[in-house]
Amino acid sequence: MKNIRFILLGLIIVLLVGNVQSQDLDALLNAETKPTIDYATATFKSTRIINGHSIEQMKKKQLDFRISHRFGTLNNGSYGLWGLDQSYIHFSLEYGIKDWLMVGVGRGSQNKIYDSFAKFRLLRQSSGAKRMPVSLSYFTSVELNSLKFQDPTRTNYFTSRLTYVHQLLIAKKFNDNFSFQITPTFIHRNFTPSELDKNDIFAMGAGARYKLSKRLSFNAEYYYSYNPNAKFLPTRYYNAAAVGIDIETGGHVFQIMLTNSQGMREGTFIPQTTDNWLDKGIHLGFNISRVFAL
Amino acid sequence: MLKKIFVLGLLISSVSAFGQGKFIAKNAYISFYSSTPMEDILGETNEAVTILNSDNGEIVFQSIMTTFHFKRALMEEHFNENYMESTKFPKAKFSGKIEGFNKDMLKAPVANIKITGQFNVHGVEKKITVTGTLGMENGKLVGSSKFKVVPEDYGIAIPSLVRDKIGKEMEVTVKAEYLPYGQ
Repeated sequence: MKNIRFILLGLIIVLLVGNVQSQDLDALLNAETKPTIDYATATFKSTRIINGHSIEQMKKKQLDFRISHRFGTLNNGSYGLWGLDQSYIHFSLEYGIKDWLMVGVGRGSQNKIYDSFAKFRLLRQSSGAKRMPVSLSYFTSVELNSLKFQDPTRTNYFTSRLTYVHQLLIAKKFNDNFSFQITPTFIHRNFTPSELDKNDIFAMGAGARYKLSKRLSFNAEYYYSYNPNAKFLPTRYYNAAAVGIDIETGGHVFQIMLTNSQGMREGTFIPQTTDNWLDKGIHLGFNISRVFAL
Repeated sequence: MLKKIFVLGLLISSVSAFGQGKFIAKNAYISFYSSTPMEDILGETNEAVTILNSDNGEIVFQSIMTTFHFKRALMEEHFNENYMESTKFPKAKFSGKIEGFNKDMLKAPVANIKITGQFNVHGVEKKITVTGTLGMENGKLVGSSKFKVVPEDYGIAIPSLVRDKIGKEMEVTVKAEYLPYGQ
């Protein structure tokens, strides 16, 4: 009897040790697998949250062709088919030179602008072997208003056409679904519509996206201007606010939005949004992005 | 009693000694490939780790999903975000056993083998049997395998919109060059 118990005990121990052996192989495997730096990818679906830039870059050798429309305001009523009779268009080509540097050029029908920009990735949010709580990029652009000068009799300078934009993009992907970005912004306009309009504009942008499914997300964006025009001036400017959805289908991203700004570039929609959500000054719009690998 | 404990001790130590010989490859190659008239998709990694137990023919593989790279950055993003859900399921793993294993297979020239084991991808585990090769080539112990995987079997949903671009089956290729463990 004692012997049987002894043999049983022996067997159990052998089995246990044998089991430890195969767990050993697993443990060894885990020990030998190099810890990786897990970068937060796809913080946003596209290089734009809605109107403004997101932390996303075109990766190296990827070309993005974008077409955007903003229709007229909802308060046009049925006569203007709620704004659809009228629209501004903007198209651009944007390219990733390096994974951390993208550049783009574009043309918009509002103010007949030509624009160019560069976006530099400075920090990448990561976990694992290297931890970084947020992603940080620097964005800068120059916009050229090519409308004919209002008063051709005075001396007009080429530089009067230019607007400069500087932004820091600070973003965090909190989890698979929710991302948030704040965007301190400085804009300098060489020439303003009137003496009382500000040349230098300070603004703070905030944007977020929430993923509704793998290929659909809800986005919202707001730009608060710290020094808007005084209220008594004939042209009243409003903070830019927009909500929209992103639909991703392989190589395309469709962004459909409602916004109170008709401008599609920082130099216009941040300081020159003239419509108000409360007066139904709402524009329907869309961005289409098609990415090509070169 | 003392004698019995001694025998037991011997038994345990003999079992421990049994698991000495292991071979490892830290930079194993794994790729998967799908081809359709619309698009070819190829994801590759050189950072998979595999260990072979030369005593019993047990073999394990592990790779981190985010180490797979693609020609197109967008494919890589979609691979991790939409299909593999790499933050939820960061690793793919296979643990199996070489059928009819004996130690001499490790010294003989490359020959065909069959491996059966558990394949875990995207949080779904399935028993699979694959064919491959194992043996000495140019003084090195090398192993390889090629097998087909159906994404849907592992709960990887492919929407109808892109169904034409992604093959029904993925061809997985594995190549490893083993070194004795601890060297």
